[in-house]
Amino acid sequence: MLKVSVKWQKEVFSNMEIDTTQPPYVFKCQLYDLTGVPPERQKIVVKGGLLKDDADWSKVGIKEGQKLMMMGTADEIVKAPEKGPIFAEDMPEEEQAVAVGHSAGLVNLGNTCYMNSTLQCLHSVPELKSALIQYPPPVRSNTVDQSSHSLTVATRELFNELDKNVRPVAPVRFLTALRSKYPQFAQLHNGVYMQQDAEECWTQLLFTLSSALRSSGSGEDADALKKFFGIDLVSRIHCPESGEESMETESVYSLKCHISQEVNHLHEGLKRGLKSELEKSSPSLGRSAVYTKDSRINDLPRYLTVQFVRFFWKRETNQKAKILRKVDYPLSLDVYDLCSDDLCKRLEVPRRLLRDEEGKKAGLKTNESSSTKDNDVKMTDAEGPSNASGDSSVSAPGEGAPPEKEKHLTGIYDLVAVLTHKGRSADSGHYVAWVKQENGKWIQFDDDNPIPQREEDITRLSGGGDWHMAYICMYKARDISI
Amino acid sequence: MAPAEPSSSGGATQGQPPVKSPANDPKKKDEKKDEDLSEEDLALKQQLELYVERAQDTDPGLQKVALESMRQEIRTATSSMTSVPKPLKFLRPHYGTLQAHYEKMSDSDLKKLLADILSVLALTMSPEGERESLKYRLLGSDGDIGSWGHEYVRNLAGEISQEYSKRQIEEAPIHDLMVLVVQIVAFHMKHNAEPEAVDLLMEVEDLDLLVEHVDSANYKRTCLYLTSSAKYLPGPDDMLVLDIAHSIYMKFEEYPRALQIALYLDNFQYVSDLFQRCKDPLKRQQFCFILARHGVSFELTESIIADDGERYALQEIINNTRLSGGYLTLARDIEVMEPKSPEDIYKAHLIEGRGSGGGTVDSARQNLAATFVNAFVNAGFGQDKLMTVPAEASSGGSSSSWLFKNKEHGKASATASLGMIMLWDIDSGLAQLDKYFHSPDTHVVSGALLGVGIINCNVQSDCDPALALLAEYVEKEDASIKIVAIMGLGLAYAGSQNEQIRSILMPLLLDGRSSVDVIAFAAIALGLVYVGSCNEDVAQNIVLALMERSEAELGDPLASFLPLGLGLLFLGKQESVEATAEVSKTFNEKIRKHCDMTLLSCAYAGTGNVLKVQHFLGQCAQHLEKGESYQGPAVLGIAMVAMAEELGLEMAIRSLEHLLQYGEQNIRRAVPLALGLLCISNPKVNVMDTLSRLSHDTDSEVAMAAMISLGLIGAGTNNARIAGMLRNLSSYYYKDASLLFCVRIAQGLVHLGKGLLTLSPYHSERALLSPTALAGLVVMLHACLDMKAIILGKYHYVLYFLVLAMQPRMLLTVDENLKPLSVPVRVGQAVDVVGQAGRPKTITGFQTHSTPVLLAAGDRAELATEKYIPLSPILEGFVILKENPDYNEES
Repeated sequence: MLKVSVKWQKEVFSNMEIDTTQPPYVFKCQLYDLTGVPPERQKIVVKGGLLKDDADWSKVGIKEGQKLMMMGTADEIVKAPEKGPIFAEDMPEEEQAVAVGHSAGLVNLGNTCYMNSTLQCLHSVPELKSALIQYPPPVRSNTVDQSSHSLTVATRELFNELDKNVRPVAPVRFLTALRSKYPQFAQLHNGVYMQQDAEECWTQLLFTLSSALRSSGSGEDADALKKFFGIDLVSRIHCPESGEESMETESVYSLKCHISQEVNHLHEGLKRGLKSELEKSSPSLGRSAVYTKDSRINDLPRYLTVQFVRFFWKRETNQKAKILRKVDYPLSLDVYDLCSDDLCKRLEVPRRLLRDEEGKKAGLKTNESSSTKDNDVKMTDAEGPSNASGDSSVSAPGEGAPPEKEKHLTGIYDLVAVLTHKGRSADSGHYVAWVKQENGKWIQFDDDNPIPQREEDITRLSGGGDWHMAYICMYKARDISI
Repeated sequence: MAPAEPSSSGGATQGQPPVKSPANDPKKKDEKKDEDLSEEDLALKQQLELYVERAQDTDPGLQKVALESMRQEIRTATSSMTSVPKPLKFLRPHYGTLQAHYEKMSDSDLKKLLADILSVLALTMSPEGERESLKYRLLGSDGDIGSWGHEYVRNLAGEISQEYSKRQIEEAPIHDLMVLVVQIVAFHMKHNAEPEAVDLLMEVEDLDLLVEHVDSANYKRTCLYLTSSAKYLPGPDDMLVLDIAHSIYMKFEEYPRALQIALYLDNFQYVSDLFQRCKDPLKRQQFCFILARHGVSFELTESIIADDGERYALQEIINNTRLSGGYLTLARDIEVMEPKSPEDIYKAHLIEGRGSGGGTVDSARQNLAATFVNAFVNAGFGQDKLMTVPAEASSGGSSSSWLFKNKEHGKASATASLGMIMLWDIDSGLAQLDKYFHSPDTHVVSGALLGVGIINCNVQSDCDPALALLAEYVEKEDASIKIVAIMGLGLAYAGSQNEQIRSILMPLLLDGRSSVDVIAFAAIALGLVYVGSCNEDVAQNIVLALMERSEAELGDPLASFLPLGLGLLFLGKQESVEATAEVSKTFNEKIRKHCDMTLLSCAYAGTGNVLKVQHFLGQCAQHLEKGESYQGPAVLGIAMVAMAEELGLEMAIRSLEHLLQYGEQNIRRAVPLALGLLCISNPKVNVMDTLSRLSHDTDSEVAMAAMISLGLIGAGTNNARIAGMLRNLSSYYYKDASLLFCVRIAQGLVHLGKGLLTLSPYHSERALLSPTALAGLVVMLHACLDMKAIILGKYHYVLYFLVLAMQPRMLLTVDENLKPLSVPVRVGQAVDVVGQAGRPKTITGFQTHSTPVLLAAGDRAELATEKYIPLSPILEGFVILKENPDYNEES
């Protein structure tokens, strides 16, 4: 019989008796009684060695009164969770893009920033993406010419690629298609492709997509793009001289914001843009007379595009000169007073509901800032898009149909994308897109380089200097389900 | 200047007379001056002229009177010396006459008397290099030397050292000089001029004389001068000087200082002598605390301390078993026990604008970074927010959930981080790690093994649990387990020279089946265990392992660990490396130069040897053949050698700045690391700025090294400026996972132990260099030379080598029962008082705190109460306080 002391964690069991005739396993069982650590989990350290269950005490060389150290706990053995976490590094690139929170940049292929910024802005419209996925239709009609078709397909492929990649994408195929459809974009100057006007690119692209998708569209929504971007205007044409008056309706893809000395704010510019004078032959006077044209919005799209008419043709310098005037634009735009009476009536109920809802939110959570409120509203309509990018093919058509019944426009719009220009003329300088992501963060897409930005900085792009200034703004409708 | 330079080249003299009138003034000027003389002076002048005339008289009686009066005049005047004394000035024109007269005189007492006077006059008159003062002194009577004043003695000392070196060359006898030397030394030592005495003795190479002349009043300043000048002396003189200092300290029973020198000399005979000489049990305990801080394992044998109980208690202290407790006492006192999460360190809310990526998905790289940050920040506290589980949540197993948020080999580092959190606390730490040993996941098991090594780092237990637990895993087939078991042993037994470890690890080196990474880690582990031991056997085996491996295998990034392991064996051992360095010339040329640089840098680490620094700088000027990598170790070598003392350190920082501008890319990559080592845990503003600039370098490896180094220089300081820089870097590099990883590691380091720890290998007022701490740093820095392959690869756990250098930067005062005792202390910037007269203040700009307190780099503490007497003059780490028997409450 030997007496030893055993140290276990912070405890010391002194005067433990060892029966040297029994194997050490017996000793471990003694310890089990004291500590509750099962013998197989016990590690007993004897001078730099471990005590084996079947060791011979005489060979272990234990002395009377020696201090031993026991390790081991009755703790549960660590188990790996059934489903380990997925690491960003292991994900395929498309999922990484979701994790990063914004899509990829576009490589500049030589003065193509006008195209890159346009594409980035349009890419932020999930409805457009889902509409493109439907293209080409299973039964192809022959109304679309080959170049329009290939441009549409190229757009679809490019949007697809942007969603899948983290690294910048080179839009080579799209550029080729664009140039074959619109040869003006392939203009060369000194052997180099020239810088182009982004607005022209925007308009032409939308036009092509619109015609291609219209032809493809099945019965239910024949003109998808018009629903997304088209603005119906109703104009009263009045001749003060003769007192003639006529009504005209037209559909445009963007509102123009005219910039003159008096215009300091987008709203003023839009109002001016809706009024124009034209000269045409008056049937009653029998000669041409000046008519005033006063337009009002008769139907609103989901995405309201506003173009700042910053460029005008300057004959002396033979180029499109730029108006640097500062024109402020808001993060949320209300176009109610630009609407026709008819539309105003239609908007009234949804607007009241929206006000109520927002008021309720503000009332209930008075301490919450207005920004969270905005987010909450956006959440409702952001659901669609996030589904759309997840498994877009299923949700897209479903998305398209119901809003007519459930969701109503309110005439209030939130800024989602800004295309800016920096420089002194339309055909020079640099175009950049500033796009709000689904998670509410703003990203500046400077060609291949996406840079996160703060919301406050977005409204600073209003001009008045040589910094980037807004050229095209895209607003998204804040709607309400009834 | 005067023709004879009054003091020797030693330099540290002060209070020299501010003005000395020019010796070779034109005569005219002299005459002109005559006119301006006051009546009194004129009388004196005429008097002296009369004496000179009389001295040449034929009448010996008259001569004698004249000479004696002349002597009298000079003596009274030279006793205080602010300008050239008037008698000397007036006698100058007559120096030649007297000289001529002296030659004519016949030998007599009078002649000796005149020689004495001439010797004094030569002080200002003797032409440069003639040493006439000494010449006449030797010819004259050997009376009291001091009666002629300090300046004369000083001048004489200078001439003696010149004469001595001349005679050494000529091999002429020096006995007559030595007689004078003894007189001069005795004079200096009595008159508060210890530095001059030491300088003279160093010049004449007879320091032993000093021991007879020191007394209790001047031994402290003498030894201070000796030890500080040792840093600037070439070997082996420095050892000699320190030896003398040691014997003086022993003579005056200033044991802690003696121990400090013994440790510097790495002389364990002295240490055991000390224990035998000093029987006071309290003092012995204090010695043990000093030994423990130095990180050497020293076994008290029965022959040193006979009593079992006391020996056991003392050995416990040397084994550092109190470190954990003391550290936690400090933490509780400063109120930083609350665990911190990595987010508390990143402080993302302070970053302007852009959020940090904003991903909701776990990134394995960033989780690994968080693991390290968590480990560094909560090191030694025993609790954290990721790995240790709060009791109530244990069923949910939140620790395992964090563990499994790490990927593959990341899990090893995560499990090992538990060891870091439980640092130095063997009992509860091992209990925490136990469950991971039973995991089916090999990465988790390997992490547990490493954790055991980390917990046991710098602390020993007489049960040797690390050896017991790790030994069997070294035999495992799985290389990843094998490597961490080896590394764990290296960490746990660093500096122990443990035979058992050697017998386990050595066979691996020559086992042809071992892969390169296994032998690399084995070499490092052996290097750590036998650090600075010059162990032939181990060296032989590493050399053989290097020779056996093929060129392709030596191309492995980890292969550079082999020479490093070899180098660690000779850490700070200077010439002892030469034989091995010679052998290394036969290595494969791929690694030959690399090996040479590594060996040299290790051998001269912490010596401040300027020649070696120049050698390394020279190597950096070479243009590389392709594929060579030796310049990295050379750049690190500059830092390792120059870090010894402040002056060399500043010079090295400037040289590195040049390398940065003119060096090639591989040199630029190593420069930030070298700067990091030079200023470790000591954030100098200029270095901080340089590193901040480099952290935006276009070469990502330079940037990564700069960021890691920012962490190193700020390690454990909580420096707000570095923390701010790193925060900005984290938003700047948020897209690049590798760079962000480095930023995170640096952030963790800055808040090392929540600011209670230091990585500096220097301690005891920057006098002692802990070899294991330096070894740990060097291994980590060498790993950083190839950041991509090692730290960013799957060997990220080499970062844990830093644990060897981690020490609390505290002053913890304990009473005679070793219980913490709070007393007021003044903490301020240390002032260099070497060679200063009187009792100058040793700290400046101090604040009064009560212990335990934190000491920053360059800080020194002194007791602000008379009630206690500290048992160690160096107030760092654990200091035992004894009640002052003479203390009077009222006074």
